[in-house]
Amino acid sequence: MPDLPGPPDDRNRPGPPDQPDDRNGRDTPSHPAGPPAGPGRTRERTAVPETPPAPSGAPSAAPAGVIHDIGYRHYEGVRLGRAHAVAALTLHTLRGVFGLGRPARSKIIPFALATVMMFPTIVSIGVMALVKREGIISYTGYATIMQVVIAVFLAAQSPYTVAPDLRFRVLPLYLSRPVRLLDYIGAKVAAMTAAMFLILAVPLTVLFVGELVIDPPGPNHTADYLTALAGAVVLAVALSCLGVAIASFTPRRGLGVAAVIAFYLLTSAVSGALAAMLESANDYTAAAWAWMINPFFLVDAAVQVGLLGAKASGPTTYPAGAGVAVTILAVVALIALSVTALILRYRKAASQ
Amino acid sequence: MTILATEGLTRRFPRVTALDGLTVDVGPGVTGLVGANGAGKSTLIKILLGLLAPSAGRAEVLGMDVTTRGAEIRGAVGYMPEHDCLPPDLSATEFTVHMGQMAGLPRTAARERAADVLRHVGLYEERYRAMGGYSTGMKQRVKLAQALAHDPRLVFLDEPTNGLDPQGRDEMLALIRRIGTEFGISVLVTSHLLGELERICDHVIVIDGGRLLRSSPISDFTQTTRTVMVEVEEGRDALAARLTELGETVTPHGRTLLVDVRAPETFDTLRDAVCDLDLHLVRMEQGRQRIEDVFREPADA
Repeated sequence: MPDLPGPPDDRNRPGPPDQPDDRNGRDTPSHPAGPPAGPGRTRERTAVPETPPAPSGAPSAAPAGVIHDIGYRHYEGVRLGRAHAVAALTLHTLRGVFGLGRPARSKIIPFALATVMMFPTIVSIGVMALVKREGIISYTGYATIMQVVIAVFLAAQSPYTVAPDLRFRVLPLYLSRPVRLLDYIGAKVAAMTAAMFLILAVPLTVLFVGELVIDPPGPNHTADYLTALAGAVVLAVALSCLGVAIASFTPRRGLGVAAVIAFYLLTSAVSGALAAMLESANDYTAAAWAWMINPFFLVDAAVQVGLLGAKASGPTTYPAGAGVAVTILAVVALIALSVTALILRYRKAASQ
Repeated sequence: MTILATEGLTRRFPRVTALDGLTVDVGPGVTGLVGANGAGKSTLIKILLGLLAPSAGRAEVLGMDVTTRGAEIRGAVGYMPEHDCLPPDLSATEFTVHMGQMAGLPRTAARERAADVLRHVGLYEERYRAMGGYSTGMKQRVKLAQALAHDPRLVFLDEPTNGLDPQGRDEMLALIRRIGTEFGISVLVTSHLLGELERICDHVIVIDGGRLLRSSPISDFTQTTRTVMVEVEEGRDALAARLTELGETVTPHGRTLLVDVRAPETFDTLRDAVCDLDLHLVRMEQGRQRIEDVFREPADA
């Protein structure tokens, strides 16, 4: 810093030693030694210049009561790589999903829905504690029972992760930083996945902890709990990819919300109606497949029931045998399709 | 030292050629990039950021090739886009901190930098409010702050004075000048107004239709067509006659006279002429060269 003046500088100056505060130095050699009124471009102002600093000999520290206007400071610290930027974007988006660091009204919907998600847990813990019997809700059935709330959360919050960046054109700004398009998409999906997982895993975990503390009669449900967490992970990934992909097609948040909720209502209505029709015709195999149109039952059938052997939590039986492999493939296909749609969508958005 | 250089840089889109064999060389300091809308300014910036591949030719920023080291360039460069880019529900502080982190700064460092930079661009208490309620001037300041958040070595400012009132324009220009000099960050600033850049640039590049029209130090621009505009209350014609008599070249222009500056003595002649004729001088200002003049010049030459 060349022009941070101070007594040490003054010592080297050929001027008279009784002008310790004359910043302009050589320009004003005949300036009378007086109160050190800071001339011109000084960057340090002496607030109470009663006593002049020590004369030329001692390298005294700056006098007390000095206001520093240090001007522009360069950044000399570490610069982290892309991974840090992606992590920062993920966390920023996750905070946004729950309205943290945003105006109060952004917090209402996510926290209201998260609270609703806790109701079965609270009731179940209450029953366990008061009646001393097994909980009334199964871990693996939590997601399917609460699917409407989860779907509303997905619909309400996934557009928030992508729509404003498109609408207010923040995307080009992100791309002017070291992150790439795929990093951006990855961070957005990861943040939404984390939010979806949290909204499911927190009630499950509270329920499990409650069960451990109360210790009601009957067997321990550790395996069920872990199965439900695994199911929650896959459900969160699948739903987030789907929700973000649908939402990314419009820069308008309201339209995104409507599109995602419409998708859920459509699949659940079609699957319900189709299954009821087939069941009335006594075709239970086909009815089981009809339920698979609803993504909640599909993930339940593929992961919790198919892979981890839990009890089906749907209204009917799930496809068995080779059908399990098909449902797993269907889940993978759903995720792959959503991610492909996202990438194609953003290729186009980035080139604009 | 070269900050950025292009060589035969060409970019064709399906229907238009945005850049056509552009070769420029930019040194440190403040460089103005002037051109009408659609001249290829934004395309050039996109290529320099490594976001758009050139169809032909090559470009280097801070000694790094744009096609192979785009990510590194983007880490060392700040970019202020021409368009709006601010999410309305975030505060300026949150946003600037976030953009600093996106450029690789750890969170605490980004916080410190954001506070510094927002102070430098002149945002104080309002920086904690959501940006949706900001005026255009405040928005432009935040856009500039986020470009500086990671202490880049070079900033690209795309039309930073867009939509500002005259006072906001002056403040923004002064700020850009400070970035180039006091902050020691090289600046490439685009505008479609040469007169505006004249005041703050060390070097000006003029492009039109993707071609280089001119690239020269600012002193060349002001020297070639240096005029002084004089307005007197009455007796414009008398003054014109007197000046012509004294050997100056005078062109009437509405209520004013445009006097070609041959040498510094022209100013003295002018002053004496006004005094001798006992005229009321309303104003006297350096003639602003308009962009059309630059476009006309090569045709004349």
